[in-house]
Amino acid sequence: MLFSKRISKRMFPKFLVALLVLGLLVAGCGTAANDTSKPSAAGPVTVTFWHSMGGQPAKTLTAMVEKFNGSHSDIQIKLVYQGSYDDAFNKLKASPDQGPDLFQVYDIGTRYMIDAGLAAPMQDFIDRDKFDMSPIEPHVINYYKVGDKLYSMPFNSSMPVLYYNKDLFKAAGLDPAKAPSTFAEVEADAKALTKKVGDKTVYGFSQAIYGWFFEQYMARDGALYANNGNGRDAAATEALVNSPAGVEILTWWKKLIDEGYATNLGRKTADTQNAFGAQQIAMTIDSSGILPNLTTAAAGKFEIGIAPLPRGNNEVNSGPIIGGGSLWILKNKPKAQQEAAWKVVKWFLEPAQVATWTVGTGYLPINKAAVDQEAYKDFIKKYPSYQAAIDQLHNTPENRITQGARIGVFTQARATIENAIEQVVLNKATAKAALDDAAKKITDSIKEYNQTMGVK
Amino acid sequence: MVHRGKSLKQLSYALLYLSPSLLIFIVFIFFPMAKTFYLSLYLTNPHGDPVVWKGIQSYVVLLSSEMFRKSLWSSLLFVFFTVPGTILVALALALLANVRLRGIAIFRMLYSSTIGVSVASAATIWMFLYAPGNNGMFNYLLGLIGLPKVGWLVTTQTALPALSLMSIWMGLGFNFIILLGGLQSLPEDIFESARIDGAGWWRQLRHITVPLLSPTLFFVLVVDTINAFQAFGQFNILTQGGPDNASNVIVYSIYREAFFNSRFGPASAQAVILFLIILTLTLIQFGVVERKVHYQ
Repeated sequence: MLFSKRISKRMFPKFLVALLVLGLLVAGCGTAANDTSKPSAAGPVTVTFWHSMGGQPAKTLTAMVEKFNGSHSDIQIKLVYQGSYDDAFNKLKASPDQGPDLFQVYDIGTRYMIDAGLAAPMQDFIDRDKFDMSPIEPHVINYYKVGDKLYSMPFNSSMPVLYYNKDLFKAAGLDPAKAPSTFAEVEADAKALTKKVGDKTVYGFSQAIYGWFFEQYMARDGALYANNGNGRDAAATEALVNSPAGVEILTWWKKLIDEGYATNLGRKTADTQNAFGAQQIAMTIDSSGILPNLTTAAAGKFEIGIAPLPRGNNEVNSGPIIGGGSLWILKNKPKAQQEAAWKVVKWFLEPAQVATWTVGTGYLPINKAAVDQEAYKDFIKKYPSYQAAIDQLHNTPENRITQGARIGVFTQARATIENAIEQVVLNKATAKAALDDAAKKITDSIKEYNQTMGVK
Repeated sequence: MVHRGKSLKQLSYALLYLSPSLLIFIVFIFFPMAKTFYLSLYLTNPHGDPVVWKGIQSYVVLLSSEMFRKSLWSSLLFVFFTVPGTILVALALALLANVRLRGIAIFRMLYSSTIGVSVASAATIWMFLYAPGNNGMFNYLLGLIGLPKVGWLVTTQTALPALSLMSIWMGLGFNFIILLGGLQSLPEDIFESARIDGAGWWRQLRHITVPLLSPTLFFVLVVDTINAFQAFGQFNILTQGGPDNASNVIVYSIYREAFFNSRFGPASAQAVILFLIILTLTLIQFGVVERKVHYQ
């Protein structure tokens, strides 16, 4: 007792000091991370840029940033990969104060970024500098425009297209220059293309269970995804995914599988892409951005054709929506950082940069002038069928439907739709029942979002 | 009074000595737990700020939701598929490896090797094994022996069993090491006298090895059950809860609700329920199963 008492008396102040230090450490964690972005009087301004590009696009982006840093002495970009779009988005949600200066957000994060008040609107910079936006593709701008205002700058943009194997088309006696353009034509061609070789089946068609494809088919068929003009005239309050167009899409999707002209390869788009590359399926739907990957897989084996996204069986003048991501300048950053970030954004929009980006990634050239760049000319010579994606971009009329839905709970909505597709494909529910249920769930989450975010 | 003053003084000393660990527990365990319970009573906005008071309504909605019951059921099934399987296979391997042979160390190393594999790399490897169509290794092997292809992760019937198989493989290393350690600490003289009495291999296993090993078996049972309830990585990488929520186990559903759907309130309520379930199961394991455990 005496012993322990003596020790503890001597130790007590040390304990206090230790506790104090520990406490300071914990408290310090909150602010320490931001120090790197403080502008120093002498050195260049550092722009921290969070992105979610992997694989080939990541390599292209890194090379572009190196080029920027090498040619600018006043601004240096610090490129930070933050995992998938969802991961990066969640990191910013969790601690907006520790965010980057420049942030790549996926298309469907637009509404949340604005509602959460995280953005320094891009339009303010554009108006102040009278920056000329006319060379930028209008369909791309319209997706990101809210009211008449751009909050972010389009960056990586893509559209869904139909990819098909021209060699298998020839072998099946189909015209490789004529791709199917409607659901009925896809079905007929898929029937002709489906072949059993030994114990292996080559399927005429297959598509990954991906909610984005459903959104695109809806838009192509001229149907709204959410009410109030896809949430663009006023905040959406209701999902419209169970409309006749939606039911037609899922009915067709399931029919192809039931008839044995398509197979279910699950949610991972990579699995379907691999099957297409290995000639186990003859046609598929995917983003225009994966052309370089597919071409590599097909090299020396078969020729790839690209065609616009097929439509439902009713003729409608409509088209698909832009997908991808845009660049955001964050509001809570010092003026110097924001100005530097704006310069970086403008640099990425230059024709030379846009051409490099398209050539390196397959994303659409969003600056019209980019197609005159040598790099792009070589690219289109190498992949002439890529022109189909560009034509689709230009042929799509501009309206609320093709602008795409703007709701704050899109990640949830997309997962709900994927679940509905699975229910239909796996015979757990009819197309109508699954979509009714999905529409109710999405409507509930829209309402909850509007309530908790104070959206009127 | 004197006595009371003394015990108070002792208590304050105790607290003083405990304070470093208490501080860490409070910061990293008790505070988050209290906060989770607090959040479960609210609807939060997507930043996680509580904005609408819901009281116990989140719990009522959850318990009456078909999806949540499905999640609970999937979790229980997953525990049921993986825990006995892992223990049995690991025990068999440990018995095999518990012989004195030249080069046995190589087998011991092989059998325990999965302990060095992170769940992320394991899931990625198994993603290739399970790939659908003709591209996956398993489907390729099935094709070689003339069996039809299986949509491992893309049908509701096979997704959870496929994940369980992968998780059993993952858990083998750890279970093997613990069980082999247990086997090696068993006293040799008991087996010797049993052999003199004419007990065969099976009798020795059934009546001596397993009872003597029961403290170790009990330990792996508790740890495996908790691990199985908390498994996350393989679900996130391989199925994301699909198809049609067939593998949407409760931990994954919590993650999904909180960090994907930004509904921190209902997610917290699920976490509280999971905590209560694991607590109950652990109490049952200690109250019922432990009685059968033979401590020397």
